[in-house]
Amino acid sequence: MTKSNDQSRSGGSSRRQVLATGLGAAGMGAASTLLPTRRAWAGAEKKLKIGFISPRTGPLAGFGEADPFVLDLARKSLAKGLTIGGDTYEVVFLDRDTQSDPTRASQLAKDLINGAKIDMMLTTSTPEVVNPVADACEAAGMPCLSTIEPWESWYFGRGAKPGQPCPFKWSYHFCFGVEQFAQTYLSSWNGDVKTNRKVAALAPNDADGNAVRQHLFPILRKAGFDVIDPGGYEDGATDFSAQIAHFKREKCEILTTFPIPPDFTRFWRQAAQQGLTRQMKIVEVAKTGLFPSQIEVLGPLGYRIAAAAYWHPVFPYASPVSGLTSAQLATAYEHQSGHQWQQQLGASMSLIDAGIAALKASGMPTNKVALAASMGKLKTTTTVGVVDFTTGPVPHVATTILIGAQWIKSKPGSKYKLDYNTIENIEDRKVPVQAKLLPYRMA
Amino acid sequence: MNQNYSIERGTSKIRILLAILLILVAGLAAGPLLLSANDLDHLIVLFIYIILAIAWNALAGYGGLVSVGQQAFFGIGAYAAIRLSYYGMPVYLALPLGGVAGAAAAWVASLFMLQLRGGEFAIGMWVLATLIQQLVSLDPLIQGSTGTSLLVLNHFSPAARRADTYWLTLAVLLGLLGLLFLLLRSRQGAAMQAIRDDEEAARSVGVAVAPTKRLVFVFAGFGAGMAGALWLAASITFQPGTYFGVQWTAYMIFMVLVGGIGTFEGPILGALLFFALETMFGATGVWYLIGLGAAAVGFALFAPRGIWGALEARMGWRLLPVGYRLVLVPESQHDAAASAAVQFDSHA
Repeated sequence: MTKSNDQSRSGGSSRRQVLATGLGAAGMGAASTLLPTRRAWAGAEKKLKIGFISPRTGPLAGFGEADPFVLDLARKSLAKGLTIGGDTYEVVFLDRDTQSDPTRASQLAKDLINGAKIDMMLTTSTPEVVNPVADACEAAGMPCLSTIEPWESWYFGRGAKPGQPCPFKWSYHFCFGVEQFAQTYLSSWNGDVKTNRKVAALAPNDADGNAVRQHLFPILRKAGFDVIDPGGYEDGATDFSAQIAHFKREKCEILTTFPIPPDFTRFWRQAAQQGLTRQMKIVEVAKTGLFPSQIEVLGPLGYRIAAAAYWHPVFPYASPVSGLTSAQLATAYEHQSGHQWQQQLGASMSLIDAGIAALKASGMPTNKVALAASMGKLKTTTTVGVVDFTTGPVPHVATTILIGAQWIKSKPGSKYKLDYNTIENIEDRKVPVQAKLLPYRMA
Repeated sequence: MNQNYSIERGTSKIRILLAILLILVAGLAAGPLLLSANDLDHLIVLFIYIILAIAWNALAGYGGLVSVGQQAFFGIGAYAAIRLSYYGMPVYLALPLGGVAGAAAAWVASLFMLQLRGGEFAIGMWVLATLIQQLVSLDPLIQGSTGTSLLVLNHFSPAARRADTYWLTLAVLLGLLGLLFLLLRSRQGAAMQAIRDDEEAARSVGVAVAPTKRLVFVFAGFGAGMAGALWLAASITFQPGTYFGVQWTAYMIFMVLVGGIGTFEGPILGALLFFALETMFGATGVWYLIGLGAAAVGFALFAPRGIWGALEARMGWRLLPVGYRLVLVPESQHDAAASAAVQFDSHA
């Protein structure tokens, strides 16, 4: 922010100089004074304000951990302004923390739209953040681009109905969905680790849980896996004995689950006490196990848990905005923050990549109709790979890839407790596979 | 008794204040013509906070019913509005019916909840709210805790929708204030205030305690239900966890305790204060919530009548004539104006 202030101040002084020059040369004719004045105006006055809403504190804080770093990177990269259609715009990011509260997310969005008068909204991480923000934008006619919430939750969780026309005009979303989970899971589970193909499926009665129950489990069944689903539980449940007994009785050797992180910690500890962990050969989690901290709390129970990755430093894609490759991005973050890289780093970067690409493609970034239209036609490569809105499963949605990955105990001498290796790449063969899937085993 | 006395409802100052209030209301009604979109959004939030505060104050302040489950009606109001609009009802009709649904649910709940006393009632209401949230989550439209959005509102232009929501919110607020005002001046109001001061004593002098409490409970259910429906109109997104969250009741308690429980004006002051605090310190997250909690505890312990209660006791202020004043006219000064005013309905 201070940077942008400094800039506009220096821009102001240069305008004054130009005006003074122009006045001095007034006798030379109007045309000669007009031209330099207009150019100076372009540098100093044209501003693009971008809202960026994510969760930095509260239960979803893990997602927002790297956002200050990513925003800082974007501000530095765009410090010289953004040239679109011959005009140079100063780019200002107005970042806000929802405190993991959907009510606050909605209020922040309205404040940015009506108070700060932003030109575009970017938002990321979970339905509790993205849905209220996207709804506020949709209601106010504000172009909104979002990511990191399975697209089904974004589309159907906001009132769109299958088979009916898309009810949205201003909000666009790119993320993986059920189909991407299905592909990477089938690729992982049909690999080298042999199982009895009996899958313990633990999914809560919430947005993501219901989406996978309706759409993912049938695909897995069709692919020859026996999916044992004891039914939805409520988020925040404290006792999983019934489900554990059920899975033990069925002799399941694969676990697939979509819990909020504290629920998984509770479930998995109870599973260890009650002997379920011993019969498991593949433990595949989603929604939790995204970040090192969520696995570290499990201690030895966390080693060899698999969790599909939406970004990884081995991704062969670079960020067009920052110019950094995925590997450089991870290294820069680890260097600056002292924390291990985490996958939201790449996703938040890709959100800014895609947002800037949409602004550029619009030709008229301050025209909201043009900007929304350019989002709908956007086809670009970001840190997480290709984002293509022209081939999405439903209008206003683009899908991105998931790559199978597994947490393992890091090698001796490593700075961090865990390593997170890619184990398959069926959705994008350009992403290198680092290791083979190892059977689950308590260390 | 040689003294002459007269009973009056208001003083001349109050009439001036009423005139000021009328001008203020007229100004607020012209809001959409004068104010920016941002100001309107904030005023809608403020009005909803006031609605919540007066609803909870009616319940706890006048009915003596301390509930920590009023989010049940807040959620029902929003849910009913979204359900009805999906059945095809015009959305600006569905929204007020959300309030009616809140009132209806409160009437049903009153049949068994009002049997409970004190702490049992408070916690029982919370349990009821959680139960209702679970039931709402079973509706396929709501999809568990996924929720849905009131998309029909997007058919209106942003400015028109904002203005309509603003006027509806203002109308509901003024309507509720007017209703409470009339209620407090009526026979029912006297009964409510008697129950507030001492339930047993009220019963012993023939106040019909149960019907009066039910009336207050239904009024509070209507207020919370309306607030929920209006919140939905302002934010579009319906996620059950958000609407049935206990934080709504926590906000209500804060506004009423700090503003002045059992007074007409206190909750309005409390809501203004809460709104200002949220605007100023909301970004600090956890510390803001700790501050709110500490302030509420502090007021409950050291200033149980809140800011307005303290002002009223010290200054004899009363913006709206909801009580009676006994004006003593000493014999020696028949023509003198009120030399001593005793508040007939004081809390002590």
